[in-house]
Amino acid sequence: MEQFLFSLAQLFEISHLAFLLGGTLLGLTVGILPGLGGTSGLALVLPFVFTLEPSHALAMMIGVLAPTTTSDTFPAVLMGIPGTSGSQATVMDGFPLSKKGMAARALSAAFTSSLLGGLFGAVILSVSIYYAIPIIMTFGFGEQFLLVILALLMVGALTGENFIKGITACLLGLVLGSVGSAPITGDPRFTFGSLYLIEGVPLIIVGLGLFALPEIVGLLDSKGSIAKSLRGEKGWLTGTIDVFRNWFLVLRCSAIGCLVGALPGLGGTVVDWIAYSHLRQTAKDTSGIGKGDIRGVIAPESANNAKEGGALIPTLLFGIPGSGNKVLLLGGFVLIGIEPGLDMVTTHLDLTYLMIWSLALANILGAGLCIGLATYISKLTLIRYYILAPVMICLIFFATFNVNRDWYDFVGLLTFGLIGIVFKNYGWSRPALLIGFFLSTKVELLSYQTHAVYGLSFLGRPVSIVLLILCLGTIFMLLRQKFDQQYRPDDIQDKKQQILFVLVLILFPISVVWFTSSLDYRANLFPITLSLMSLSLLTLILAVKAIDYYKIAFRKSALVRFVNVKIFEKNKGIAGQLLYFFSFISYLLMNLLVGFPIASVIFINSFILFHNRKAWTISLPISGVFLLIMWLLATMLVLQFPSGLLGAFVDLPWWLGGELN
Amino acid sequence: MFRILALALVSLFLVSAPASAKVDLSGKTITWVVPFKEGGGTSRFARFIQPFLTKYLPGNPDIQIMHIPGGGAIKGSNYFQENAKPDGTFMFGCSTSVIVNVATGNPLVKYNLSKYRPVALLPQNTHWFTRSDLADGPHDLSKLKERKLVLYALKTPASADLFHIWVFDKLGIKGAKPIPGLSSSGGYQAFLRGEIHISSHGAANYVKKVKPEIDKGGVVDLMTLGIIGADGSVTRNPLAPDAPTFPEMYEQVNGKKLEGDDLEAFYSIGAAWSQASKSLLLPEGTPDEIVEAFRDAATKMVADPEFKEKASSALGPFPLIIGEEAGEIIKKASIFSDTTKEQLNAALEKNRFTYRVQ
Repeated sequence: MEQFLFSLAQLFEISHLAFLLGGTLLGLTVGILPGLGGTSGLALVLPFVFTLEPSHALAMMIGVLAPTTTSDTFPAVLMGIPGTSGSQATVMDGFPLSKKGMAARALSAAFTSSLLGGLFGAVILSVSIYYAIPIIMTFGFGEQFLLVILALLMVGALTGENFIKGITACLLGLVLGSVGSAPITGDPRFTFGSLYLIEGVPLIIVGLGLFALPEIVGLLDSKGSIAKSLRGEKGWLTGTIDVFRNWFLVLRCSAIGCLVGALPGLGGTVVDWIAYSHLRQTAKDTSGIGKGDIRGVIAPESANNAKEGGALIPTLLFGIPGSGNKVLLLGGFVLIGIEPGLDMVTTHLDLTYLMIWSLALANILGAGLCIGLATYISKLTLIRYYILAPVMICLIFFATFNVNRDWYDFVGLLTFGLIGIVFKNYGWSRPALLIGFFLSTKVELLSYQTHAVYGLSFLGRPVSIVLLILCLGTIFMLLRQKFDQQYRPDDIQDKKQQILFVLVLILFPISVVWFTSSLDYRANLFPITLSLMSLSLLTLILAVKAIDYYKIAFRKSALVRFVNVKIFEKNKGIAGQLLYFFSFISYLLMNLLVGFPIASVIFINSFILFHNRKAWTISLPISGVFLLIMWLLATMLVLQFPSGLLGAFVDLPWWLGGELN
Repeated sequence: MFRILALALVSLFLVSAPASAKVDLSGKTITWVVPFKEGGGTSRFARFIQPFLTKYLPGNPDIQIMHIPGGGAIKGSNYFQENAKPDGTFMFGCSTSVIVNVATGNPLVKYNLSKYRPVALLPQNTHWFTRSDLADGPHDLSKLKERKLVLYALKTPASADLFHIWVFDKLGIKGAKPIPGLSSSGGYQAFLRGEIHISSHGAANYVKKVKPEIDKGGVVDLMTLGIIGADGSVTRNPLAPDAPTFPEMYEQVNGKKLEGDDLEAFYSIGAAWSQASKSLLLPEGTPDEIVEAFRDAATKMVADPEFKEKASSALGPFPLIIGEEAGEIIKKASIFSDTTKEQLNAALEKNRFTYRVQ
């Protein structure tokens, strides 16, 4: 208890508050920009946190994570586009309310319920920390192994549009994560003699590539609709009163959010829908739901903020992430030297409490800022995306370089960016790939450790049995719900390309088997087993797609129909997105030639001017401000800019990428 | 206020002292390459020392710590070898893993460690302990030797953890079997859950995490590596005075003193693992007067009252070794004799590892 209060006092030191506030502002911003969410925001912050003190870094990371599900309501209500995947259900009633002229009421109800949900999550998390030690002590290698496997299964089955594609994405992530030196024997696997691959691609690079780049090109391509302004809107108080009138709904949905958040894999993507359907099942009068009922905003918003507290439980206690952004949070823990597990509730207890307090405060700050500055913040949704996008890209490049100061990281970034774009457009789960990638080493080690300590007897331990039943039951129930009746594969145009992509994917596990087969069995058992598993699933997917494409007779049979659901994705313009992607390659080449600062100015200006020739009055000041911020960051964090070939010939000053001395 | 004034006066005096008149680093930025990730032991060591060095180096240069993790410390060490200038603007944060890479002949190593100029060295020590139902007290190995399976944590055989294999082999614990992929803190958790039987920690974590469990009675000391003096004598670790040192345990188990090849191997392992745990080095070819200026600053740092106050909790209980003596230890630690390598490889083979020391 003493530590609990001590952490509170620590949080209110000016420096902590500053980092928390900074994080919160960034979190609010990435939440508002449609498509970007906590995962991209955290990936942007991570390359910089390692220069900070652990407690500052934690405050900042939690600050980024917590309010994204608060501010994502702006685009959901104003534009009808979910700001993050957690606010999809908010659109259902939020957008109709906005069209009726009640945007302010919808927003204030959403922020208030977000706030209450977030606080509820923080309370549940602190209570669970109190009971954590016995829980951790009952989870031995075997139980942890099962927990990880269940997490992977659930993430795969639930985040993918098609559950077989989802599980395959998980498996591919696991194989991808096994690239590098084998944890048991130290043999290099699939590295082709390069030191870069021995370590494996850094997690942050994978996160930025898989999530941030595809969302940016997607939005560039869709040329997003323009929101209306909030000026003069009334009804802020009504919205808040609505929430308190429905307090019991808030409480129930927060509890649902917490519980669902704590189960790996369910987190971000479905929690709002679960809360929304709970509302539909329990409400007495359902006639207005879906047409602008305020409860349709309150339910998902309280649930999606409460889930953060719940999701931190497995993250902190077992190091098992439930969603893409928790993967990156764990990556951040590693960077600042915190190992999840027993330490979190013993020696690092102060940091754990600090996180809980940060979570609570970030929710309060986030909701407060959203309500107080709504008129201004809503204007962010008015900014043309082609102005924002190049700045984001430059920022991502800067972040990437600071991970390791390694040019290879750019190759990694763009490779995973390409994978992300294709995955997103062809309906393959990116969170599943990322979580598989992150958990790969853990799965491999746990399988050896479990085998060494228990053999197969771990399956008979009581906790193991509970875990097995729990997961199989949940998957069964959710798969039944996923049976989408409205899916009409015949509308999809580019099936041929999607089939081709599966063929490309198949090459990867085949080559892994080929190149690792000559190693010691303790080094290649894991990658080869998983490669063969993903190979068989990929073949199945290929077969189902072919049956559908060639309209082979038994595609009407129930089983094939079930597997066939969402096997193809209706993609929204991958060609245009790839075009944007190639412009990033040219930016990389510019970086190599003239160094980061000059290349960024050229890129920002030419990108904006390409879209609007007269916009130089915008592009010039923006690139100027960007440079100023970069210089400030570099001085504060003692970071050196990437210097290009030019730097090798001309002695550049440090602010153009030259050396520090 | 008075203290700050006094400090300012002292530093003024130091800058104008004749010894440092030749070397002046004012306005310079020193890059301290640490080949590990942020938050690790070497990073904490560097961060703790950084402000004191700035204070005592002539000209009070800024020091920035550059973390280049990867490849088991090889990436950052190779980077240092290729980029460091021998003019006092580059320092290297060395640790056991950096040395072990050289000692075990890793082919990716491009750095010439034995030519580096040592400034200061921070020793550590290893503690082994077991559950109280598996040993009657610090000297008792009998129950462990009878067991069919004695599990312990081993991160990877290509790291300093390799020495555990040698230690348990020499003590004749037949059932000893390493569980791969467990860090010392992950291993300690598994140990507390009762899944593994022997666990180990460095001195700092021993005080923080293990000592409370020993006081509660669930855990007992087994032994420590022992503190190796300049003359080769091995004394007990003051943190666990009841626990025998490895040579004592060896004598008790084998009925003869630790000598010959085994003793030589122990000295090499002890130097790498314990004596040269963390160190601060300057690049090959750094001129003597710059090296002296750094050693001078380190000597003054150790005498600083603020350093004295915080050092034991930040760095552990053992005093820094400054100067040429540090160089001797690093040489001993990084060059393993052929017989020592054979011994290590024999232990690896017994445990069916494919990895070999080169």
